[in-house]
Amino acid sequence: IVSSYSFVFQVIFEHEGVFIHPSSDDDGIDPDLLISGSLRLVDKDSSSVVEWAHSPGERVLETQHSYETEWDMINAVSFRKRPCSNGHERSRWAFSFSLRELRSVTVKQEGWSFLIFKLKDSSSCLPALHFHQGGSTEFLDAVRRYALLSESVDDASCLVVSTPNRALSQSFENLLDDNNYSLVNKLKKDPYVTTLGGFSKVTNYLFDALRGTEEHTQRPPEEMADLLGEVIPGLDINQQEEPGFEVITRIDLGPRPAVSRREPVSVEEWTKHQDPEGRVQRVPQLKEAIFKGGLCHAVRKEAWKFLLGYFPWNSTVEERKALQRSKTDEYFRMKLQWKSVSEEQERRNSRLRDYRSLIEKDVNRTDRTNRFYEGIDNPGLVLLNDILMTYCMYDFDLGYVQGMSDLLSPILYVMENEVDAFWCFAFYMDQMHQNFEEQMQGMKTQLVQLGSLLRLLDLAFWNYLESQDSGFLYFCFRWLLIRFKRELSFQDVLRLWEVMWTELPCENFHLLVCCAILDSEKQKIMEENYGFNEILKHINELSMKLDIEEILHKAEGICLQIKSCKDLPRSVSSILGFTSDPRDPRDPRDPHRASQRADTCSNGHGHLTEAPALVS
Amino acid sequence: SLLNVMTSKTSLLKVILLGDGGVGKSSIMNRYVTNKFDAHLFHTIGVEFLNKDLEVDGHQVTLQIWDTAGQERFRSLRTPFYRGSDCCLLTFSVDDNQSFLNLGNWKKEFIYYADVKEPEKFPFVVLGNKVDVTERQVSTEEAQQWCQENGDYPYYETSAKDATNVAVAFEEAVRRVLAMDERTDHLIPTDTVKLHRKPRSAATCCS
Ligand SMILES: Nc1nc2c(ncn2[C@@H]2O[C@H](COP(=O)(O)OP(=O)(O)O)[C@@H](O)[C@H]2O)c(=O)[nH]1
Ligand SMILES: [Mg+2]
Repeated sequence: IVSSYSFVFQVIFEHEGVFIHPSSDDDGIDPDLLISGSLRLVDKDSSSVVEWAHSPGERVLETQHSYETEWDMINAVSFRKRPCSNGHERSRWAFSFSLRELRSVTVKQEGWSFLIFKLKDSSSCLPALHFHQGGSTEFLDAVRRYALLSESVDDASCLVVSTPNRALSQSFENLLDDNNYSLVNKLKKDPYVTTLGGFSKVTNYLFDALRGTEEHTQRPPEEMADLLGEVIPGLDINQQEEPGFEVITRIDLGPRPAVSRREPVSVEEWTKHQDPEGRVQRVPQLKEAIFKGGLCHAVRKEAWKFLLGYFPWNSTVEERKALQRSKTDEYFRMKLQWKSVSEEQERRNSRLRDYRSLIEKDVNRTDRTNRFYEGIDNPGLVLLNDILMTYCMYDFDLGYVQGMSDLLSPILYVMENEVDAFWCFAFYMDQMHQNFEEQMQGMKTQLVQLGSLLRLLDLAFWNYLESQDSGFLYFCFRWLLIRFKRELSFQDVLRLWEVMWTELPCENFHLLVCCAILDSEKQKIMEENYGFNEILKHINELSMKLDIEEILHKAEGICLQIKSCKDLPRSVSSILGFTSDPRDPRDPRDPHRASQRADTCSNGHGHLTEAPALVS
Repeated sequence: SLLNVMTSKTSLLKVILLGDGGVGKSSIMNRYVTNKFDAHLFHTIGVEFLNKDLEVDGHQVTLQIWDTAGQERFRSLRTPFYRGSDCCLLTFSVDDNQSFLNLGNWKKEFIYYADVKEPEKFPFVVLGNKVDVTERQVSTEEAQQWCQENGDYPYYETSAKDATNVAVAFEEAVRRVLAMDERTDHLIPTDTVKLHRKPRSAATCCS
């Protein structure tokens, strides 16, 4: 089990701009020499390894003495980049060590943070790492996922490292989406999460870990059960089962309700929802209708502007005209900004240049079979290009990231108008922004959330994915980055998006769409015993073979199924936005729930039903 | 040969296409595997791979060709897939000088994340794509010189559009890998070939 983890090399933490100051360690070196590198914590051959290496092609630089704050430092660094002159430079300073070899980390401040590492083997000495560009706290947080750091009794700045059994800590990797919870805290706080959270895997790791100590003399099952019970509260192991099977506690979701869908909202129906001034009436009912059936194409051009938030629902026709006028001015002002950049200016603006060339390349590779974008001189291509360039001016920090052209294309197709398309796109990007940011935090969060949902829905499938190193759900990346844009036919994308924009029937409905698709594929994946690569390939090849109505049926059914579950883990209710705060008077559910829940916690598993789970 | 028929071994080789966005990596892969050029192809999001069976100098080989998205932002997504590569095809476009200048960075990124043990010996093959285009920014000589200086890599000028040199380049990649050593660790009986590669140490027992 453990060895399957080394197949994929995982970077747990990575941070550029971590410096060493070699002069303090080495004679004959310019005392002002700082070497910038990247620090990583990687999961490699079943151990966590800290690596520092001089960044290739990056700044070997001398500092001016002027820096006093980190800010100055950053400036000094970014302006003095120069290419790396020889290849040996990097390997000369690079070092790495396993967390197991680490005795302590001392944290010091000198306007910036720096860390001093002491290895158990005291004969080797490592250079201190200077976090001139931040990141030391994040680094230590990442380390804490694999090792226990406790303050030394006589020096609070010195953190003593102990590495608990790796197999155990590793198995929690996916559970711990935020580092603030220590492993044990999380277990105590929410036994449900851990019950769902691949408990079978956890127990397997524990079995493995305990076995590992005495290789052949395996402990009797009863003893194992006791041991596990101590380590993990709330775990119930049925000892009557055959060896190789474990019965673990998990939530019984109950049957999945059938749902009905309806025909799309027609022009007539849409118009009926407007008062004489043009305000939209009975918005919740209208949204419900859109959720259940989508929109007729003729309604989209108007309705999408409301769904995306460009038009307020309670605005009058007159107000909307005024809004459009001012938004038109604003758009063209921003468009003029990049249009009026001279070649000379652009030569000195590498970011703008990069955005421009990337947009140009991607516009030529976006929906080119769609009539709106086909052929060489199609005006649709120019609009796509101009809106994306203007978006760079609207949000220069983000600029253009691949995938954005996919999000814009259907909107432009529906709007058939540059300004409206821009603003609708900008509102859509507000929702999707995090997916595209530097650290791709939105993607990471969604993948973790999707993992929680999959665990709840089908533990056996989840365990299967994990056993194939696919628990990080890499294969859902494209789905989530651009909201299924490449998975469905163009018309089906329009349908799915308008349904999702109603924000019904729960938050993060798109994650349930993922669950629905996977629900239809899991049997094949498991029966054919697909491995890591094959799962990726299989999922990639679903593109354009999916049936949107079937998926929407299933996804809504899953939502209702989860919603009706009594003992829903808090993590899941918060992902889907089912309020779980018992003090919240708006909580529509059973008022006795809070006390029930407390009971459940105290006896560990009182309200949970038991169901067998096959563990690999 | 008779011996080959009797033993019937297939090597599974993983090759990865790296290079700037838009140089034609996906087009090259598709040209090679499906023998088609689709001018309407989408830009790649995420990671994809295709398999192709071929025979090189009497060796049966299944090539697993990996294609990724080139934008810097997606680095953390693509780099985990570098591991276990047997060959890396560094790709630029002859009508884009910047993509040529970036070859070195791609090479570095690959060596770093693929965790290559002996970078000097690793088989890289360099592809200068889009030779059908008349406005070149990179000359054959410049490209050849880079290849020579960086490790004497084989260089091919390809066109995914009109199929120039694409198959030849992949075959050369296979030859380079096979020549690296006897590759016994890749030899596993044909009928058990899985897309998913066994760790090397585990596979040697089958040879
Ligand atoms: N003229 C020409 N165009 C090509 C060739 N290969 C790819 N392209 C075009 O270059 C663009 C980028 O190709 P793509 O395969 O998506 O590049 P990737 O980003 O490296 O995967 C597309 O518009 C292709 O049609 C080629 O050999 N000749
Ligand atoms: Mg591509």
